[in-house]
Amino acid sequence: MAEKNVSPVMKQNTHVPWLYLLPALIVMSLFIVYPMFNTIGLSFQNADGTASAATACREGEPCWGIFENYRYALTEEIDGSSFSAAWQSFWLSSYGNTLKWIVVMVTGTVVVGLLFAVMADRVKYEALSKSIIFMPMAISFVGAGVIWKFIFNYGTGDTQIGLLNAIINALGGEPVAFLSSIPVNTFMLIIVGVWMWTGFCMTILSSALKSIPQELIEAARIDGANEFQIFFRIMVPIIMPTITVVVTTMVINVLKLFDIVYVMTGGNFSTDVIATRMYTEMYKNFQTGRGTAIAVILVLMIIPFIYMNINRFMKQEAAR
Amino acid sequence: MKKKMLIISLLFVLGLILGACAPATPEPTEETEPPAGEEPTEEETGIDCMGAEGGEISMLYQWSGAEEENLNTILRPFVDACDITINAESTRDQALLDTRVQAGTPPDITFWNVTQLEQYQDQLVPMTDLGVHEENYPQFWQDLGTVNGTWLGLPVKADPKSLIWYSPVNFEDAGYSIPETWDDLEALVEQMVEDGRTPWSMGFESGDATGWTGTDFIQDILLVTQGPEYVMGIIDGSIPYNDPGVKEAWEMYGMWAKDPQYTIGGAEGTVSIGFNDAILRVFSSPPEAMMVKQSGFAGGTITETYPDLEYGTGYDFFGVPGVQGLQGGSDWMMSFSDSAAVQALVAYLSSDMGGQKWAEVGFDLTPNMAGQGAYTDPALQTKGDILANAENFVPDIGDSIPGGFGSAEFTAITDFVNGAELDPLLDDLAEVQAEALE
Repeated sequence: MAEKNVSPVMKQNTHVPWLYLLPALIVMSLFIVYPMFNTIGLSFQNADGTASAATACREGEPCWGIFENYRYALTEEIDGSSFSAAWQSFWLSSYGNTLKWIVVMVTGTVVVGLLFAVMADRVKYEALSKSIIFMPMAISFVGAGVIWKFIFNYGTGDTQIGLLNAIINALGGEPVAFLSSIPVNTFMLIIVGVWMWTGFCMTILSSALKSIPQELIEAARIDGANEFQIFFRIMVPIIMPTITVVVTTMVINVLKLFDIVYVMTGGNFSTDVIATRMYTEMYKNFQTGRGTAIAVILVLMIIPFIYMNINRFMKQEAAR
Repeated sequence: MKKKMLIISLLFVLGLILGACAPATPEPTEETEPPAGEEPTEEETGIDCMGAEGGEISMLYQWSGAEEENLNTILRPFVDACDITINAESTRDQALLDTRVQAGTPPDITFWNVTQLEQYQDQLVPMTDLGVHEENYPQFWQDLGTVNGTWLGLPVKADPKSLIWYSPVNFEDAGYSIPETWDDLEALVEQMVEDGRTPWSMGFESGDATGWTGTDFIQDILLVTQGPEYVMGIIDGSIPYNDPGVKEAWEMYGMWAKDPQYTIGGAEGTVSIGFNDAILRVFSSPPEAMMVKQSGFAGGTITETYPDLEYGTGYDFFGVPGVQGLQGGSDWMMSFSDSAAVQALVAYLSSDMGGQKWAEVGFDLTPNMAGQGAYTDPALQTKGDILANAENFVPDIGDSIPGGFGSAEFTAITDFVNGAELDPLLDDLAEVQAEALE
């Protein structure tokens, strides 16, 4: 019935919204949807996309038929001779490394970011201290990689030009080849990631903290809560939705991570992550099928986190 | 309004002036072109134009900047004598060449790598049909350019990698002499260790190509222990990469590269020192090591950091002793056309004069033996002598096997030096090799 009150000018046909969407849809389908379907298609084909992936199978070796590229992507790095060998090789594979990255880097950035957000709230030079933490975000991944490559530099003589080894040397220790010693090296790379992304987490968490009504905290204080209780029982529960968003965003970021590993070790010394392995197969080994299969696996791994993020976003919108 | 009109009219006038200027500017440059006129005759220049005077040649090559200038200088006498117009394009993108060839519109001439000879074997015009001066090229060069019995490309430029760089001053101080054979080299290395010196600097960190210094070294060992046919066998797949001969070479290399007595920093040093840094450490004072095996570019790296060092006293090199063939990069001229101009060009470059001109300009080395002795740069002349005495010339294994073999080889050697077991690495490489050459 309401329709009758709408002036004819305001009335729109059902196809009009589509017209407005059209430019975005064209761009999206051309640059996202089409490449995605093409990628999926290529992942079932051989190295140069000319025949089915099954043709790459060799006699006497395991073969998953059309899923051959997925077999390669999922099992090639794992040494299946015994359970312990498989377990060990998993933790040095691109999947194991990505898992290390997710666990250490996401907890690292979120915990440290939250800590800084709370602390910065209480110091005199809040803006300044926060900008210092945030500054690494302004450096490109490649730049950060090069900077840290110097910090981790391993000198063979008496002079250590790497900051860390120079300190170790000054304290009388033996220099460590941080980037080539397995399995320390992956954690050394993760430190770089944490250094870069803590500022991002801090900024978002800090703004969430600031939106907590001051009355709540004052009331808690009057009731006799100490600072730890206020933090864990009041602040954290209230900003939990934001923490979830930050965590999922970080997980997506880490899954896609490529630059730091590529610049600092090139994936050598068992530091490969999924994205660098995809690059190697695709552009160094010219194995289009295998590269795209890894890409598809990566997308499948990211989808749940995107779903969580969107879900959270929808709920927030609905609550408004 | 009046002001606006004024501005518009001023702009209009300015436009007219600029428009008037435009055609005037190129005129002077046209005038600077040398007036055509008495063409130098063949007797004067020694260049046979084969009646192609005034012809055109289209070219596609990878060289740019100083390299392109070198090529132009080398071609200058030919271009001037025969009044040839060269339409050159420079690109590092091989896909461009592939596209042109597949589309049936290839350039007349391209300078590219040895692997392209096989790739374009159906389209290329045989060298023997183009009037090449065979006598200037040793048999092994002709063989390297021969695909299925037809000689398809002219080797124009070579850059041998089988070189060991050292400091003559340091060698003299320690009383060492240049090894003549591989056994001499091994003995010298042991002597150095005994004297408390580190023989090798092997660092091979190089971003995502880390390891190439190591695979180059291994190929030189293979050229000593097995010889060029064996290496070519690896390249064509007839010898699998996990062959015992290859394994032996890796073990020989590993014995040096992983041990801090033999190389700076041992395994950790080898994988973490940058390849340029590794060169420089031989020339620091005091030197950290006595020798570094590296390609021809090392000379530039040394003089850039130590400009006081003179070739011959401060730094020098010798060929890897005992190699039965040199390892190195080479550029090949291949022709998709048999026009008179192209024939004249092939004849010129393969002639005594072409070889000498190439050597004189010093655009790396010329495989044209007539150029031997014509180098003006003493370091190039030494390299030229090494090339002239070579029994064979083989391309890099990793570059010659298509697909991802090269990068797999880099990763494998890095893992090997870093402590991984050798057999599974070589088995994996053999698998990649078989897949790539299927």
